[in-house]
Amino acid sequence: MGKTPKIITLLAALAAVGIGGGMLGAHFLSQHRASNDTDQVRESSAQPDLTDPRLIQQGAYIARTADCAACHTTPGGAPYAGGLAMQTPLGAIYSTNITPDLNTGIGHYSLADFTRAVKHGVRADNQPLYPAMPYPSYAIMPDEDIAALYAFFMHEVDAVNQANGESTIPWPLNMRWPMSWWQLLFAPEREFVANEQLTPEENHGAYLIEGPGHCGACHTPRGLAYQEKAMNLAKLEKSDFLSGAVIDGWRAKSLRSEARGLDSWSKEELALFFKTGRTDKVAAFGAMADVIEHSTRYMTDADINAMAAYLKQLPPAKNKILAFEPKEDTTTALLQAGVNLDKGATVYVENCQVCHRADGLGMPRVFPALAGNSAIFAKNPQSVIQITLEGGKTPSNDVDVMDFAMPSFNHLSNQELVAVINFIRNGWQNQAPEISANQIDHIRKFLLNKAPNLVFNTVSNPGSHSVTSPGASASASTRGVDE
Amino acid sequence: MNKALQGSRFTPLVAALLVSAAVSFTISASHAAEPTRYSVLDKDGQTLADYVIPKDADISHHENAEQILYGKRLLNETKHLMPDNVGSHMNCNSCHVAQGKKPQGAPYINTYNSFPQMNPRAERIFQLEDRINGCMQRSMNGKPLAEDSKEMRAMIAYMKWLAQDVPHGAKVQIQNSGAIDMSLTPDPMRGAAIYAQQCAACHGANGEGRRDASGTMAFPPLWGDESFNLGAGMARTYKAAAFIKYNMPMGVNTHGGWGEGGVLNDQDAVDVAEYFTHQPRPGYPDNIHDFPSGKRPKDFRE
Repeated sequence: MGKTPKIITLLAALAAVGIGGGMLGAHFLSQHRASNDTDQVRESSAQPDLTDPRLIQQGAYIARTADCAACHTTPGGAPYAGGLAMQTPLGAIYSTNITPDLNTGIGHYSLADFTRAVKHGVRADNQPLYPAMPYPSYAIMPDEDIAALYAFFMHEVDAVNQANGESTIPWPLNMRWPMSWWQLLFAPEREFVANEQLTPEENHGAYLIEGPGHCGACHTPRGLAYQEKAMNLAKLEKSDFLSGAVIDGWRAKSLRSEARGLDSWSKEELALFFKTGRTDKVAAFGAMADVIEHSTRYMTDADINAMAAYLKQLPPAKNKILAFEPKEDTTTALLQAGVNLDKGATVYVENCQVCHRADGLGMPRVFPALAGNSAIFAKNPQSVIQITLEGGKTPSNDVDVMDFAMPSFNHLSNQELVAVINFIRNGWQNQAPEISANQIDHIRKFLLNKAPNLVFNTVSNPGSHSVTSPGASASASTRGVDE
Repeated sequence: MNKALQGSRFTPLVAALLVSAAVSFTISASHAAEPTRYSVLDKDGQTLADYVIPKDADISHHENAEQILYGKRLLNETKHLMPDNVGSHMNCNSCHVAQGKKPQGAPYINTYNSFPQMNPRAERIFQLEDRINGCMQRSMNGKPLAEDSKEMRAMIAYMKWLAQDVPHGAKVQIQNSGAIDMSLTPDPMRGAAIYAQQCAACHGANGEGRRDASGTMAFPPLWGDESFNLGAGMARTYKAAAFIKYNMPMGVNTHGGWGEGGVLNDQDAVDVAEYFTHQPRPGYPDNIHDFPSGKRPKDFRE
């Protein structure tokens, strides 16, 4: 009879020792993580003049390339004051206030503290950051760039007194100390390594995409510990780098050169997409619309072309279809004839055709094509389903006079949505697996349960916040990247 | 990266976390929103059964499905299917938004049950055929259809289907067009600037419209030889303004059938309407017979 309690006591003691050891070890790891690196920053005799307007301007541009705003600014919120909800399987994490406010922001951060947080994921109080903050990518950014970024945040960004939101991840899953071990395993110190096979332009693009652009945060599949499966293309065709992933209910497409990747995109189209969020064929939506609106549209042509050049030379990812079987377009003639339409075509004519047209080619730079649009025939239909249910907006840009939007079609039944989505995914020359009503239901539930962004009233009551109804932030950018 | 360490060691911990997360997900209802129900009043003001806008898939359940579908196609592709009767590059549904199913977008929902009715422009009783032929000659800048033609019967069959079970003389409680302040003085110069910002991307800098890749007119021409003539209701400033305010620009919102509206206020709409309606367009000499008793509206076009 006394045996069982003894075992339980023993196990409990072992667990306590284990957890205690884990916590102590984590404390040690965070204390010493990147300490060499930051000591260098701290002791460097050549401290830059952080008030130099040119350095600040440079930092402003780096903040654009690193897309800090997409996560640290809520739609309509104060710049960089945080509060954007990022959905994780465990709950929502809210991006933090990175304005130079002394109490609620990062005003008390030294350059060394800032560098350690941005590149290595350790806060000034030695607590590890969740990898929603893409520090595994930022790790390759040169310290001079981080100094410029610091100068920008300290001397250009307005301090906003706005308290950070508590994540909705329940205890004990919200404990931070295991992240120190995670960092040891998955976010080592590293530097950018240029590939000798690539041109200088392509290598520059590689740096922007692997580092500040942190494209892999959304486009690289993650492992069971939420780590990106690859941070670069070191192992070429075996690598999962940028081979597509699902984040926030969106399918972030494969950027590799297979049929469902970037095979249907030219380098020029990629560059135009980064600049304007549109080509004659496609329009950015979902999380990518935020990337363009806050980041890539501000990048120089040289940087944009470098990214496009790098992406276009990526090899296909493993186990992907390199090219589709040839297929004749019978859809255009069917829709133009307007008779003998099945259910999918009937729903299409009633709800979609006025914009996306019988030929599925849309209206260039106004309404995107569905035929030949790689977002439509992705193997994973989540993006198609989510934008059909929720609608979407094209990002603003500096070329087109107007921004356009797609309305929500969540009033259609699951059967209608299944019919019409299967119709567009396999209409014209598109080829994609059929979807089911369960997949529609899954996204409907995901959208219903999406945590809203925090809404602050910084003018009348600094620091206080309330939560809006989920619907109010329906189109909010929710990227899976932040602290 | 510590590649050797990736992937496996964290698996048990993370699997446990994911399982608990999955369990903690709330189970919630997820289905399509209920369709909008519109109340219906008969001519004595008595409430009848609610009206729900039918979906195209319903057409096949009707005996004359083929005729209804043909009517729907004629209204969508008027120029393409009736080139001899349509002079402009417009379709009926260029103005009758979403196949005549959108309140405030010139819907056909009450059309079938509202005729015969007094036509204020002609100052005589109109049958529905007269009304449709008015559109054919003015908005379509073309020729009337024979009242017993296959095309006329088909378009009316579609409108009858859209009215569903609403009896003759009863009215679905929707608006055909939204309100616009007719006391506003139009400023066409300001209208030109609004046109450039809010309209030209689709309708073209010179109002010429835009065709899709197959050559079909996708955004109707707002002026010029391919547009509606001076006799069309859309050539009148305030009628056009009411249409624009509630239906244009399309594709700019994540709600509404077309993602339309919510951009222009009354003054904006009146200004831009004044600007584009007064650009060169085909004439309509029969205008002289309109409003024969002389009480012409202030935006009447000659």
